[in-house]
Amino acid sequence: MLRASAAAEAAGVPSSSLVCDGFLGQGATTAVGLGLPNLPMAKVPGHVDTQTDNELRDNLTSVTVQAVIENLTAAQPAAIMIPEPGVRDVVMEGSFEEINRFFYENGWSDGLPIVPPTRAKVDAFLAFTDLPADHILGKLLPDNRHATIWNVAVNGVMAGCRPQYMPVLVALAEAMADPGYGVEHSGNTPGAETLITINGPIIKDLEFNYEQGALRDGFQANTTIGRWWRLYLRNVAGFLLHQNDKGTFGNTWRVVLAENEDVLSKIDWPPHAADFGHSRGDNVVTISRFTGGDVIASVFGQKPEDMLPYLADALISQTGWQLIFTVGMADGSYTPLLVLSPILAETMAKAGWSKDDVRQWLFDNARIPAKKFEQYITEYTNFYSGGRSMFELAQLGKANALYGESQDPDRLVPLVCDPMDIQICVSGDPGRTNAQVFSHNGILGFPTARAIRLPNDWKNKLAGAG
Amino acid sequence: MSEAEALWVLLPTAQRASGEWIDDTLRTRADEQGMLDRLTQVAAFPRQRVEVVRGPNASGQVNEMFYRRGWTDGLPIVPPTTNRVDAMLRAGGQQRNLVLGEADPLKGVVTVEKVAINAVMAGCEDDHMPVVLAAAQALLEPEFNLRGVQTTDENVTPLLILSGSLAKRLHMNSRFGALGPGWRANAAIGRAVRLIMHNLGGGWPAAVAFAGLGQPGRYSLCLAEDEEFNPWESLREELGFAADDDVLLVQRAESVVNVTGGLDDLASVMASATSSFSRLHGGIVAVIIAPYVAKLLADEGKSKADVKAYLHANSMTTTEEFKKSWIPSRLAGQTKFPRWVRAGLEAGWVPAVEKPEDITVIVAGGDIPIPQCAYMPTWGFPSCRIAKKIETASI
Repeated sequence: MLRASAAAEAAGVPSSSLVCDGFLGQGATTAVGLGLPNLPMAKVPGHVDTQTDNELRDNLTSVTVQAVIENLTAAQPAAIMIPEPGVRDVVMEGSFEEINRFFYENGWSDGLPIVPPTRAKVDAFLAFTDLPADHILGKLLPDNRHATIWNVAVNGVMAGCRPQYMPVLVALAEAMADPGYGVEHSGNTPGAETLITINGPIIKDLEFNYEQGALRDGFQANTTIGRWWRLYLRNVAGFLLHQNDKGTFGNTWRVVLAENEDVLSKIDWPPHAADFGHSRGDNVVTISRFTGGDVIASVFGQKPEDMLPYLADALISQTGWQLIFTVGMADGSYTPLLVLSPILAETMAKAGWSKDDVRQWLFDNARIPAKKFEQYITEYTNFYSGGRSMFELAQLGKANALYGESQDPDRLVPLVCDPMDIQICVSGDPGRTNAQVFSHNGILGFPTARAIRLPNDWKNKLAGAG
Repeated sequence: MSEAEALWVLLPTAQRASGEWIDDTLRTRADEQGMLDRLTQVAAFPRQRVEVVRGPNASGQVNEMFYRRGWTDGLPIVPPTTNRVDAMLRAGGQQRNLVLGEADPLKGVVTVEKVAINAVMAGCEDDHMPVVLAAAQALLEPEFNLRGVQTTDENVTPLLILSGSLAKRLHMNSRFGALGPGWRANAAIGRAVRLIMHNLGGGWPAAVAFAGLGQPGRYSLCLAEDEEFNPWESLREELGFAADDDVLLVQRAESVVNVTGGLDDLASVMASATSSFSRLHGGIVAVIIAPYVAKLLADEGKSKADVKAYLHANSMTTTEEFKKSWIPSRLAGQTKFPRWVRAGLEAGWVPAVEKPEDITVIVAGGDIPIPQCAYMPTWGFPSCRIAKKIETASI
């Protein structure tokens, strides 16, 4: 939020941001992160959706308009730096229990015990990167704090990671800071949670689970790196519940999803990271935020044509409001993820289907009536107001041409704008015929990949790490 | 080190919405005023929510440290430990991170937790928390004009009056010595309000708050309306609440002037003790009537409205006297008095307040035949009489 106002202010144009009551706190903290702590905001009382037109008009004229006038006419005070402890400062000495209580009370922990980040423990992590501790990886909203090698390591210690996970953590911090990902949306109300996927030989180096129970806690690499992600969002990006993280429900962090590269190589399907320009054998992390999804149990059939209708139906059933990211808001950014168990992928490959063939089939067949699509983005959610049909939007260039081929409200239209927008991973129990669909949060956590840089002498360091 | 030797204290001071701690501004102000020889640790604290203070004598250390950081009213405070603050929050029944507003003039963000921290420091019992929360909300109402109250050269302070049966349950005094020492509710709730103004609004005397003299009421000015000896409708009913509601009334008081006597004595004091500032800005004054005097008035058949009307009609100062007072004589021509004052000057007599309804009347004091009443002139604008219903689900 507030980025347009920040841009206007930066260009020397006075701004006033209309902010609903419940978002004033988030607005204030976001403004700090944008480097404009005094960014002027005008309160809109209550929640606009629950007010009648008359109530809204009264509220706007009695409260909001006055604030807008003041915001646009008064000079805003200058920003001030807020002091923080130095990187190697010891902030607390005490027992394990005391350190944990101290971190929790100060909002630096997720509620589970953390490993106290002593200098020695942090230094062990630093040995697994060739970058210096003060190296800046990027800047993270909303707090606008630098992501550094040092704070990556500190949170790695706290999360219970092993030192050798450091190269993965560094790549994740870089991905988090990538503007294309949109970390600043991590506190939005749908409360999506990031799914980290990983490819490359590092899966075996670090003993990630990529088979049965791939998305469940129980393997240190998958679990603690997932936890690190959330601690890093809290302690470096600065997302705090009841303050600027406004997720309505949210959920616990997701453990890292490692692909089964043995199976991929056997069936000659490219790894997930190939969608982002990386090659087989590259160590790569990919992040993306997902609001939810479900397991698609017992996918029955001997050939792809028998199995795919059920998977297409699953894509449809797990897709609703997210269609706003196909048409309406940041067109073409809805990219759901289908995770196939190895046996499903193998059955399709045995019939001669490539991963792209599967995507094409799903693109062609996972379709819904245009009127249903329009219902999600307009009538149900009011995300896209204005009453225009998708046909009209396409004619105006405001929707992909796919949606302008006919005016028939019963015509079937695709869920995404391009077959490649359907992501596919292979993981999970090799012998079960189940799949999982994750539905995606569009530009609010867009898929972003980063190569993992291993330190010099990785194999020896790894061997010595235990 | 054992937990018993360590105090886990929450910090009572505030950040602005921008994240900046008000102490950084206060350090500059205190330095300008030459106060850092006494307040030697202003702004020198860890910028986090909780701090651990190790023994021995951790409580003494917290007290010394908080005083040197400028976080007290000069008296010892109760260390706001996590346990004490948590208990206070449970009694308040509100979510700790709920933002109530920004406290002027330095605009510290007032959260429920910050209110609880200052209430613990002031010596409040947990059950006082709903009243302190209501008072904090009242201070943040625009018509309270907290900015003006905190920064004016006049000695104004919030006057808290609790009307309702809650007062008895909290042992808030409305009888002998109701405005004096000895009762925890009167002392601690009023003190909590002062600490909130001090630590969240940054109203540090002589650094930000330039009240010429201040007044003892700035430590605490809090009492209950007497239920038993009030012969009239209660304050809460007068203000439109139900008889079984508990209501906190907050208005501004410039001082407490003792009046030994009845309505004529009160009217006479009102005429002379109402400053021309008060007449310049209007405002709502308070009169406390002794139980004995109230009974005599009620026996004469006078209603509360009659009492207000009588005080209004008889608290006149003459045009001649008025013109000799500070503002008309020193600042003649530079100020414009409101219409009702100008009309009074032409007629030869100016009342203390514009209309009878501008006088808050309650009954309190010793319950024997003594005529110890009080008048509390007010200061500033706009007119301010803020009533907050107290939510006491947990009491």
